[in-house]
Amino acid sequence: MTTDAIGTVSALRRALRLAPALRAGLWWTVALAIVGAVGRLVVPVTLQVVIDRHILSPTGVDVGAVVRLGVLAIGVLTVATLANRQAQVRMSAAAARGLCELRVMTFEHLHRLSVLHVQGERRGALVARVTSDVQEIQQFLQWGGVNLLLGVLRIALVLAVMVAYRWELALVVAVITAGYAVALRWFQQLLQRAYDHVRVRVADSMAAIGEAIVGLPTVRAYGAESRMRQRLRDRLAAQYSAEYRTHRTAAALFSTAEIFSAAVQAIVLVVGLFVLDGMTAGTLVAFMFLVNQFIEPVQTLVETLDQAQVAASGVRRILRVLDVPPDLDDRDEGRDLPGGALAVHARGVWFAYGDGPDVLCDVDADLPAGRRVAIVGETGSGKTTFAKLVVRLLRPDAGQLLIGDVPLDELSARTLREHVAFVPQEGFLFDATLADNVRYGDPQADDGQVLQAFTDLDLNGWLAGLPGGIATRVGQRGGRLSAGERQLVALVRAWIADPAVLVLDEATSAVDPALDVQLRHAIERLTQGRTSITIAHRLATAEGADLVLVFDAGRIVDYGTHDELLADSAVYQRLHRDWTAGTTLAPS
Amino acid sequence: MSTSLSPAAVVRTGLQVVTAHVRRRPVPFAIAVLGSLLFSAAIVASSVVLGWVTDELIVPVLDGNGTGRIRLAVALIVGVGVAKAVGIILRRAAAAALQYGTKNDLRERIVDHQLGLTMRWYASHPTGDLLSVAEADTTQATYVLAPLPYGVGAAALLLGAAAIIAVTDPWMGVIAVLWVATSLAINIRGSWRMAGLGQAVQRLRGEVASTAHESFDGALTVKALGRERDETRRLRRDAERLRDQLVELGVIRATYNVAHELLPGVVTVIVVVLGAWRITADVITAGELVRVTFLLSLVLWPSRLIGFTLWQLGDSVPAWHRVQSVLTADDEVAYGERQATEVDRPAPVEGDGVRFAYPDGPPVLDAVQLDIPAGRTVAVVGPTGSGKTTLTLLLARLWDPVSGAIRLDARDVRDFASGELARELAYVTQEAFLFDDTVRGNIALRDDLDPKDVERAARMARAHEFVSALPGGYDTRVGERGVALSGGQRQRLALARALAQQPRLLLLDDATSAVDPSVEAEILRNLKDADLPATVLIVAYRPSSIALADEVVFVEDGRIVAHDRHETLLRLPAYSRLLRAYEQDAQRRDQHRSAGRVPGGAAT
Repeated sequence: MTTDAIGTVSALRRALRLAPALRAGLWWTVALAIVGAVGRLVVPVTLQVVIDRHILSPTGVDVGAVVRLGVLAIGVLTVATLANRQAQVRMSAAAARGLCELRVMTFEHLHRLSVLHVQGERRGALVARVTSDVQEIQQFLQWGGVNLLLGVLRIALVLAVMVAYRWELALVVAVITAGYAVALRWFQQLLQRAYDHVRVRVADSMAAIGEAIVGLPTVRAYGAESRMRQRLRDRLAAQYSAEYRTHRTAAALFSTAEIFSAAVQAIVLVVGLFVLDGMTAGTLVAFMFLVNQFIEPVQTLVETLDQAQVAASGVRRILRVLDVPPDLDDRDEGRDLPGGALAVHARGVWFAYGDGPDVLCDVDADLPAGRRVAIVGETGSGKTTFAKLVVRLLRPDAGQLLIGDVPLDELSARTLREHVAFVPQEGFLFDATLADNVRYGDPQADDGQVLQAFTDLDLNGWLAGLPGGIATRVGQRGGRLSAGERQLVALVRAWIADPAVLVLDEATSAVDPALDVQLRHAIERLTQGRTSITIAHRLATAEGADLVLVFDAGRIVDYGTHDELLADSAVYQRLHRDWTAGTTLAPS
Repeated sequence: MSTSLSPAAVVRTGLQVVTAHVRRRPVPFAIAVLGSLLFSAAIVASSVVLGWVTDELIVPVLDGNGTGRIRLAVALIVGVGVAKAVGIILRRAAAAALQYGTKNDLRERIVDHQLGLTMRWYASHPTGDLLSVAEADTTQATYVLAPLPYGVGAAALLLGAAAIIAVTDPWMGVIAVLWVATSLAINIRGSWRMAGLGQAVQRLRGEVASTAHESFDGALTVKALGRERDETRRLRRDAERLRDQLVELGVIRATYNVAHELLPGVVTVIVVVLGAWRITADVITAGELVRVTFLLSLVLWPSRLIGFTLWQLGDSVPAWHRVQSVLTADDEVAYGERQATEVDRPAPVEGDGVRFAYPDGPPVLDAVQLDIPAGRTVAVVGPTGSGKTTLTLLLARLWDPVSGAIRLDARDVRDFASGELARELAYVTQEAFLFDDTVRGNIALRDDLDPKDVERAARMARAHEFVSALPGGYDTRVGERGVALSGGQRQRLALARALAQQPRLLLLDDATSAVDPSVEAEILRNLKDADLPATVLIVAYRPSSIALADEVVFVEDGRIVAHDRHETLLRLPAYSRLLRAYEQDAQRRDQHRSAGRVPGGAAT
């Protein structure tokens, strides 16, 4: 992607463009910083005036005048300090505000990308986009931003003074320093590679730490503690070695500034003494000081640029996310759907995940309005993908899906989510109460409506067994409930949304058979007059459906009612045999 | 936490922590301080060299008095530069060794310690928090070690400068002492205030992270229900709270920052004014005043560094407290002394009056009496939420009963030494957990397992076929950076892992729920045919799986209602209703159909 190629400066500039709060009032901040920087001149100037006009003056020290001068100096110093403080406050406030914008923007954008739910294993990395990456930029802007600004100011100031003294000598210093700057850029590239290496090692040891914590039950059940310890030790050692080497290299590279500065002083000395004519002692001594004054901010700049690189790579990672066009463009504008039951059609639909093989090939289907449709097929036959396409959680690579004769693409997000509800296999619950989790389906629902939804699905018995009823907190990811119970809540959550089209993806796979049958009857009753699409791992669902679609290797190979399919479909017969063998008790 | 700590306490705790860290790594610390002192000395030397060059070279040469000792001058200037460079390298490299070494040490200790804690402890500590302690807090708690050696060198320079000034003139000495004292007071107060705010910032950062984590984990649900905007609003609320706290922190930081810069300036001006008066009183010379002011200008940066070090200390203390609270958690699993026995015989399992409830929760298991003879295959059956999974957790000793005992081959599972019980039993959970490792590593879990045994286990779990088709076969990496596997494939690998351990007791908790029924049936047949030297306990719903079991334990509402052969249990209405649900449903449907009605049908 082109984002990788853009340099540090353009990456940071794009960040500024994206988050206007970063730039708001920047010129005021700069002006205040300049006033603050002037404060640095107060002490040398005071010293020079006191020495020249009083201590070394033939008339001696005028104590009264010196005290007045001192008071003035402290006054100026105080004003400059206050300006400086204000500049720093503004800088960090702008950074905090701008990055808050950037954080929210990135989060919002990520929710528009299918990558979040398609590549589950990358989620951890995506969380870093709105946490550590933003933090890296923040750290740079808070300290680095000020340093960068003041550094440039000081370099310009010193250069001007040097030119005023002797432009030839200033030229010599500037040219040599420019050469050094080129070397510094090379150093930086070297360091960037080293930091990349560190990052890989850090990711490795984080993974080891993470699995020691997340996978603890497995680790303990298998007595794999010592293996985990050893692995962690190895990875931490590898990380340490990468970190240490990188910092040693960085230290060596930064230290060259000192040697360089000394070398320039020596060159200035030789050139000033033996090459240039008409040099005065004062000018040469001043130059020796100025060389230091010139190189010190250059040195600071190098370090700051180092931080800038870290920040820029954070920016680049964020931009790489923001530059992905939203494949689930949930715009507000779009067509509405008519009321009542809605038919679903698929026309020549193809789909593949990324560069992978085709998961769906040329799928055509007509799902009549108000009917119960079951989808069956082996694992990996494309059932779930099809369901996700119907609810626009994925976009087809080719072909089209229509709901109520309106192309799916043309619906507004609001209309789509109002009319179509999807219950995935893993009922994800948020760390809140049962009622709040159900309200994810309908934020306006009051407790009475939530309770009614449980009643509708005949789940009062289950609910009564919970100590807190609908006020029960479910824990992280619903961890206080069993997998089957989480599915029940997910089902209620979809039901309360009152959808015209209900898509269930093995939504009751973890509940016991008796409850499953009971739920299915409730759903059948409730979905009268609605279109329901059920992916059934348990074929009992197919037996009661109005229409069954049989998927095999990404195609719909057969369709019809249960009885018809049982008569003519080889694939369905095989699935049914399997199912019957699994559920029917052998006559004893 | 920090609001209850006084500024002195922050510094005191900080120094204790730092001392403890430094004690563990005295050599890098000493080298870093040495480097820092070398650098400070080189700074002073550079001013001396400059003075010498001015007097001995520049003035005579420009007056036309020969070429002077230019070579020596160049050598001295460059020599001092090299000394500074060496000082920097020593300090920075050694400080990195100190900081990163300590950080990784802490991480190792934390994980080490956590591996021994009970599930009860884990249940009351959210995973996100634990990850954040192991990752972010260890970094923050050791961050102070980077500027520390520099700060120590700077402190030496500061004290030296104050001493030189005091020697020059007692009056100026008084000012120097006042200045050092004020500077320290500002630094300590600043570090305390920033510690409080820094902690709040850290907490808010954690909230932003956990909101993002949860929202991304539930992305499918968020998306499916069209709740993206509410999620964005939720994150915005957290992000804005963090922002406001950062703005506040910025104000405090800037205030202390500039107070730091102002102080030496004011002191210099006072010294100059005072000096002018002292010169007229003939107490000091002009040269001495210049030397004092030069010294003051030299220590501006070091005095800021001390401040920086103390602030880092303030930041590190709260993080250290969080690290410490994990390291001192004492809810450790109590292990006995018993070693595993090296026999290839199945183990009988016994539960005696087992009662269990999760902390602050209702009872989950009550008066559970269980007696499974060696070598039997037993199915645990019961409605959703009846306590089946909890029972397997107790058998695997991931939790301990509140009262009663679990015995494996007549030995209380709590008597086993750490890691020993695992040599006799293998446990497969509903959600297969795979390590960031190769397929082989995930199955074998140790390096000395015969590849043939790995393959045999994989074949039995019906994993061999798909593993062979992977790009790297058994050496393919799975997990975060490797191949993505389907739920069914993951479950089959987890099962292969359990089989490869050749346990005396095999616990399968709905371990094949994501596997196609025909494949599952085949796996179960494989298990039966292999005639494993193991007692097998299966939590299952599918009647076919249950039918393969020798006997069935029927659980309802946390009690074992019955324990008998499947055929016998079918006479129990509750059991029959659960098991025959699909069959009866299909029959009812057939009857209705033949009667011309479809229950709940939409067809009109």
